[in-house]
Amino acid sequence: MASWREAWRLSGAAYTELSFQTIYALRQGNLPPTTPSWDLVPRARRRVRQSKAVLSILLAMIAVGAEVLLRFGGSTVLGQGLNPILFQGGVLTGTIVLVMTFLWWTALQLVPVLIGSSPLALLETLPIPARTRDRVAFLVLFRLVDAPVVTTVILFPLAVAFGLGSGWAGVAMIPGIAAGILVALALALRTGRFFARRVQGTGGGRGRTLARWSFLALWTVPAFAMFVVITFALPFFNYLDNLVLTGQTAFLTFLVAIFPFPLALLPALTAAGIPAAHQVGFDPSVVVGMAAVYALALGLLGVWLVRATRRSLIGLPASRPAPRRDDTHIRPRSVSFAILRKDLRVASRTPTFAFLILLPVLNATAVGLYTMLSNPPGADAFNLATATVASAALLATFFGPAFFAIEVIGYSYSRSLPLTQRSVIAGKLGLILLVYLVSSGIVFGLTLIKVFQPGVFFLFIAAELPAVVAAALLELGILYWVAQRRGLPIVNLYAGAWWGAIVTVPGVVFAGAPLLAFYLSRTGAPALALPGMAVLALAELTACSALFFTLPGKRPM
Amino acid sequence: MVTSASAPPAAVPLEIQGLQIRYGERVAVDDLSLSVLPGEIYGLLGSNGAGKTSTIKSVVGLVRPYRGSLRIVGLDPDHDELAAKAAVGYVPETALLYDSLTPREFLEYVSSVRRLSEEVATQRVEAYARALQIESEFEEPLATLSNGTRQKVILIAAFVHHPTLLVLDEPFNNLDPRSTRIMKELLRDYVSRAPRGVLFSTHTMEIAEQLCHRVGILDAGQLKGEGTLDALRVTSNEGGATLEQIFLRLTREEDAVREALQELGGA
Repeated sequence: MASWREAWRLSGAAYTELSFQTIYALRQGNLPPTTPSWDLVPRARRRVRQSKAVLSILLAMIAVGAEVLLRFGGSTVLGQGLNPILFQGGVLTGTIVLVMTFLWWTALQLVPVLIGSSPLALLETLPIPARTRDRVAFLVLFRLVDAPVVTTVILFPLAVAFGLGSGWAGVAMIPGIAAGILVALALALRTGRFFARRVQGTGGGRGRTLARWSFLALWTVPAFAMFVVITFALPFFNYLDNLVLTGQTAFLTFLVAIFPFPLALLPALTAAGIPAAHQVGFDPSVVVGMAAVYALALGLLGVWLVRATRRSLIGLPASRPAPRRDDTHIRPRSVSFAILRKDLRVASRTPTFAFLILLPVLNATAVGLYTMLSNPPGADAFNLATATVASAALLATFFGPAFFAIEVIGYSYSRSLPLTQRSVIAGKLGLILLVYLVSSGIVFGLTLIKVFQPGVFFLFIAAELPAVVAAALLELGILYWVAQRRGLPIVNLYAGAWWGAIVTVPGVVFAGAPLLAFYLSRTGAPALALPGMAVLALAELTACSALFFTLPGKRPM
Repeated sequence: MVTSASAPPAAVPLEIQGLQIRYGERVAVDDLSLSVLPGEIYGLLGSNGAGKTSTIKSVVGLVRPYRGSLRIVGLDPDHDELAAKAAVGYVPETALLYDSLTPREFLEYVSSVRRLSEEVATQRVEAYARALQIESEFEEPLATLSNGTRQKVILIAAFVHHPTLLVLDEPFNNLDPRSTRIMKELLRDYVSRAPRGVLFSTHTMEIAEQLCHRVGILDAGQLKGEGTLDALRVTSNEGGATLEQIFLRLTREEDAVREALQELGGA
């Protein structure tokens, strides 16, 4: 126990360093903020606490949602004859998966920073027993998500207890929630290490770049898992119902034995009692047996986590091939294109930036594939495709200013270069447009197979294009304007969520206005919908271009 | 200094007049005046916190002076910031770069911003990379390279556009003896071929002694002495003294060094 206390104390220093680097990115060349130096560390701690508070609130909302579903969902959401135990088990399975992917996603954002900034390396040189160092590493990993984890452990059993009207059911939820947390931490650790090795640590060349972008698509898996749980919950219940109705007991038993279903069924079985379970259509002893097996496996996973975290986090695990004579050919491009190319190269080795680019693209791919495979009627496919183009436009403009965060890296060096505001803005604008056009192009290509309306669809993409450019120019212009008014380096400014909102909200409004005009006028005056949208988008572009060209061409970055 | 009799007088690479730099209430540099002449390597010497890096950062536009004026190749950076930056090559004290780029990708970015042609950029980068023996690491991310290799990359980035003024903050940090020797010869050659200047800071007195045409000794943000080694010997009344001895005399640290050694002996 003393060793755990000591480990907790030691993990504080490493965790503070991690918070400091996460907020200020000084090791990546960001400038220190103008905050008084005595407030730098407390401010970093405050910022991290605020982020964790937001995450905890989101988890609390999921807990409340689960409670409401358990209490009322069976009758009002489904309104059909699915057995309550199966329904409750399904809801709790979804809840555990949601919590697991949410925590995995959250910790995954920080694990590569934890590996890169090596706050644990110093402890390796001090006379501290290996077991204590193992525990310190595990506790630093745990502290990435400590407040959300505590919220989860307290609120979810309570939500289940209230939802099912049984205190023991709440207690029976604890193994499921613990499983979700442990699996999330293990996944974050292993995937974080994978990204540090295979993405951040790999070199140049087209083949390796392509491989990196494919690995980066995996980064979005936890985010999509959350999306899938929410989207496919209802079809899943219908599927379960169908299995019960058709008497496929063996398959149903197999299905409910898959992780984490047995752990999610435990509270439902506890609340209903074993006799009621016999009427469900599967053998409850299988569920209880599998729950015990999973609980044992998770105990072992916990022990492994404590032992393996240090080995996974220490050192830079980059995969470096043997030295060879490499390409020293230099291909300079125009300044704006060089900024765009640099951003793409940085993003290809920085999952958090890559996510901003890949999310709209993958969203477009998913919807495009769905349209292609699900055989919807022509008009529906067109609606779905235009909605996806609209979401690509909104996502690109929403995330667009965040691409400025790439400038955080190496900022002190960049400012010594003769870069103008215009060329930097043009480079970022290029990236936003690239995201919009690639996403739209994917939907366009995949949807055309089902709905052959290339003209209309192409016009829709083209009509929205000026609005995307206008929105991006507006956002980047506001960003510079606020930075100059406040006399702050532009990259520090964007670190605050409040400033982020001031910048992105007008941009999203500009990108969204022509889309809204299109959807509103489509029912009343369909012939005018597309021309109206295009006129509004062009008007926005004219106004924002005027704003852009008032920037002195030679004003430095 | 290499100029022909008929050539117009070359612009002075760097002139600093009455420079004051403040961080809040703290004055880091006070009333500093110096110039780097064409064909000259000027060494800025000083203890930790003497104001060397602050001075250098103000020259490259990372820190705004509180008072005083700067002229880079005759340009006022307040009015011609981009032209001034275009004339400068900079090596920071700590090579905080785009860690996720490879040396080739980083140098492509810098060459693009410097508006170099493909031919010129490739020819120069290849020559420097071969001399500093880093070609085999051109495709590995900077984050995975040694500090010495990163330093070589940033040195190439500073030289690649052949700037009129090179501003180097502890440029020999982390370099191996071979590369240090090459860089010293390169700097001598660089200023002898054209009316260019080099301002560099260092703690290493031997390097300053071997390389600099003139040195300036900074202490607590103020210039305590300036000139050639011979001139400084005269100023400090230290005939035949090394630069280290002159430095300690001018910064009045001789007694402090002696006391520190005595205390350490007692420990």
